[in-house]
Amino acid sequence: MMSLRMLSASLVSAVLLLSAGCSTFDRAQSAQATPTEQRISSLAALSKHNPVTRTLDIQQWHTSAGTKVLFMAAPELPMFDLRLTFAAGSSKDNTTYGLASLTNAMLNEGTGQLNAGDIATQFEDLGAQFSSGSYRDMAVVTLRSLSDPKLSAPTLALFSDVTAKPSFPADSLARIKNQLLASFEYQKQNPGQLASLALFEQLYGQHPYAHPSSGNAESIPAISAQQLRDFHRTYYSAENAQMTLVGDLTLAQAKAISEQVSTRLPRGTAAAMTPEPLTTAASHTHIEFPSEQTHILLAQLSVKRGDVDYPALFLGNQILGGGGFGTRLMEEVREKRGLTYGIYSSFSPMQATGPFMINVQTRAQLSQATLQLVQDLLREYIANGPTEAELADAKRESLGSFPLSAASNSAIVGQLAAIGFYDMPLTWMSDFMQDLQNLSVTDVHEAFKRHLNPDQLVIVTAGPHVEQLPLPEPVERSGQAATVERQH
Amino acid sequence: MKILLGYIVLFFSSTFITPLMAQTVTTEFSLDNGLKVIVREDHRAPVVVSQLWYKIGSSYETPGSTGLAHALEHMMFKGSSKLGPGESSRILRELGAEENAFTSDDYTAYYQVLARDRLEVALEMEADRLASLTLPEDEFIREIEVIKEERRMRTDDRPSGLAYERFKALAYPASGYHIPTIGWMHDLERMTIADLRNWHERWYAPNNAILIIVGDVAPDEVKTLVQRHFAKIPARPIPATKQPLEQAEPGQRSITLYLKTQLPSLMMGFNVPSLASSDNPTSVHALRLISALLDGGNSARLPTQLERQQELVAGASAWYNAFARGDSLFVLSATPNVQKGKTLAEVEAGLWQQLKQLQDTPATAAELDRVRAQVFAAEVYAQDSITSQAQQIGRLESVGLSWRLQDSDLAALQAVTPADIQAAAQQFFIPTRLTTAYVHPEETRP
Repeated sequence: MMSLRMLSASLVSAVLLLSAGCSTFDRAQSAQATPTEQRISSLAALSKHNPVTRTLDIQQWHTSAGTKVLFMAAPELPMFDLRLTFAAGSSKDNTTYGLASLTNAMLNEGTGQLNAGDIATQFEDLGAQFSSGSYRDMAVVTLRSLSDPKLSAPTLALFSDVTAKPSFPADSLARIKNQLLASFEYQKQNPGQLASLALFEQLYGQHPYAHPSSGNAESIPAISAQQLRDFHRTYYSAENAQMTLVGDLTLAQAKAISEQVSTRLPRGTAAAMTPEPLTTAASHTHIEFPSEQTHILLAQLSVKRGDVDYPALFLGNQILGGGGFGTRLMEEVREKRGLTYGIYSSFSPMQATGPFMINVQTRAQLSQATLQLVQDLLREYIANGPTEAELADAKRESLGSFPLSAASNSAIVGQLAAIGFYDMPLTWMSDFMQDLQNLSVTDVHEAFKRHLNPDQLVIVTAGPHVEQLPLPEPVERSGQAATVERQH
Repeated sequence: MKILLGYIVLFFSSTFITPLMAQTVTTEFSLDNGLKVIVREDHRAPVVVSQLWYKIGSSYETPGSTGLAHALEHMMFKGSSKLGPGESSRILRELGAEENAFTSDDYTAYYQVLARDRLEVALEMEADRLASLTLPEDEFIREIEVIKEERRMRTDDRPSGLAYERFKALAYPASGYHIPTIGWMHDLERMTIADLRNWHERWYAPNNAILIIVGDVAPDEVKTLVQRHFAKIPARPIPATKQPLEQAEPGQRSITLYLKTQLPSLMMGFNVPSLASSDNPTSVHALRLISALLDGGNSARLPTQLERQQELVAGASAWYNAFARGDSLFVLSATPNVQKGKTLAEVEAGLWQQLKQLQDTPATAAELDRVRAQVFAAEVYAQDSITSQAQQIGRLESVGLSWRLQDSDLAALQAVTPADIQAAAQQFFIPTRLTTAYVHPEETRP
């Protein structure tokens, strides 16, 4: 259970390194200087062809117990990954907040014959890595193992026990509850996390996405072992599971593993779909917090999985604030004005409608001016959409980055697990890429207007109340030898 | 959400350097100007990572001028002879590349991950900012504000970050490792563009860098591209550098902090050598095994004994960076299980009991076998990521160790005996090497 082991890791996470890069992009800049391709000779020489992409040979089947399986053989390294997903996230908590998360965290705490220490010892003796996690839609259980059958056979037997036959021992439950309570105390020192919790409450009201997946200090102590057993029996069933296998396995081996693991799971039915949330009204919630920076979140309910507008929203967001340097938000807020270390926007499509969100943090004296600037930038983007040049750049970027999305076994496992869980076609990755390439400026602009309204934002700020300063003047970048000349 | 920065945990205690698998092919060559190039072939997917590591980091800085290595890293994105401010990022983004940079005590590194046919663009731009960085002052005036925001976010508003900064400042009395990589705020306030120009001029030379390329490439093809863009950059004399060294036993130290946190916590750090600074590699490998015995997985001693059996801690960890350029630290940290009424004093006693157990009782064969099984598996798993492979090479090479150490690493760890582990515990875990930080919630300030 990752979040608990992170407790003291968070203490040392500051041990870190710092980094950063920077990017610039000035839409207003006139193209007076030498074209980029004349200055960067290798850019001129670069083939106009799209990059080569790894061919993914994905197999799909259902086990006799009804579990859907996606498999890709990757024999290059002597290892494999197994990921089980269940529609068993916190949206299934009902009024017992944290039930899904606690069930997931307790899987490797005991099987009747084995306690938590025995389970950890056996996995680690075999060089295997077990982990689990629980989110709003899904619960995940994963295994990474060497493919030598002498190691993988006992590893899989143990994995199967832990996933299918957890015993939820009382002493472990008491300990894990205490660790969760400690993690809630840690949340209180983190203004960004407090803001995020408040944001979901504001966005979702009475909907099952509203409460925190990990529950809270009031809900966790009351949860009983019997509730965990019931939740496990209902939601960790073969019919409510999807399995992804990637690695050094033959098709026959993968089929045998999928049978072995799925037939031991409880039998049941696929969980009901999460209902749609009601639309939420505009609001601004402020959390007073004695920090140097104010954390600012702006959000709105926007899009669900499978929506035909998602490719347009995704591509449009890459221009607005997705993925790092070079976006409008990063350029205006960080690069030109030095207001923040990072600003990002994202759409999070879930089974039911998920949020669009912008998050940024800045020194408290500039929080109001920054919030206003971000709202203005968003309003302008929704009103006018991207430029042709921006759209062409974003399309080119998506083509170029496509090979990276399948560069490792772990990247492929992540993609296939999402395809399996959200019931998307096996060709989803290449379909999506093709959809992006077919979009026009109008498509993106119209999709943004359909899904976002700048007057309906839910805003949460967390920081100290201090006297406010006006925005600094933006740095001007004219006269440089280098104006970006887009290549396409 | 995608993480923007190269965010690396400095001390990878339970991570071992991974020996090569039989099938990997690694080629090394140097240009006449001293640039060292290491190419590892990985043909699983048509992608490549390029990382340029400079042997310069915050431990080379001086009082009053902290944060320079990191600030220069930021300014490397602000233009060079062929490129305007931010333009390289813009170009790489359009090519679908992932790119960023990271700075630590010992190194500053820049990387791009991209489709294999685009490698040359990354190399050409990387060479340009090595040879001819612009460093415009107006860009610096904005960027230093970004860096201050980064400091507020990572350190000033994060109790764990602030505590670690103060702990480190005390734990390294003699060497540059006491300097926080991001720099003290008052030094960021008085940094100038002239400081950064000087920094780039002194340290950014091909003979002070290592280029590491991992992916779907052939060494000959890489050599041609690297020659084309880097060979014309002249070598320059680099200032003589001194290895960061500490007193073996500086004396027992402690710091007490009251911070904006709800939970107390504790850090204990012992001054110990690294592989680069020690004349007894066996003791260094023994310390690495100790770190794994304590915290190498959920079955290790800290989670088993302190977290589950005694329920003394909500969490505890141990880590040791054996691959620093100079003398290192062995660190333990823990948060008491306050729900069970445990105190910092009890946790401190519990950690000492763990260290005493290492000194008094030989590790069992079963425990050591488990550590070896994890090392062997980790070496396979690390090969799933071209970035991890490049980073393992860079971390060694940037501190003056050879990437070839990976080949003999498993054997080196296997040669360590239970008696070696006891001897290292007895030698190093003594009060005169110890710095302790006690972190309390602000509300409990007396």
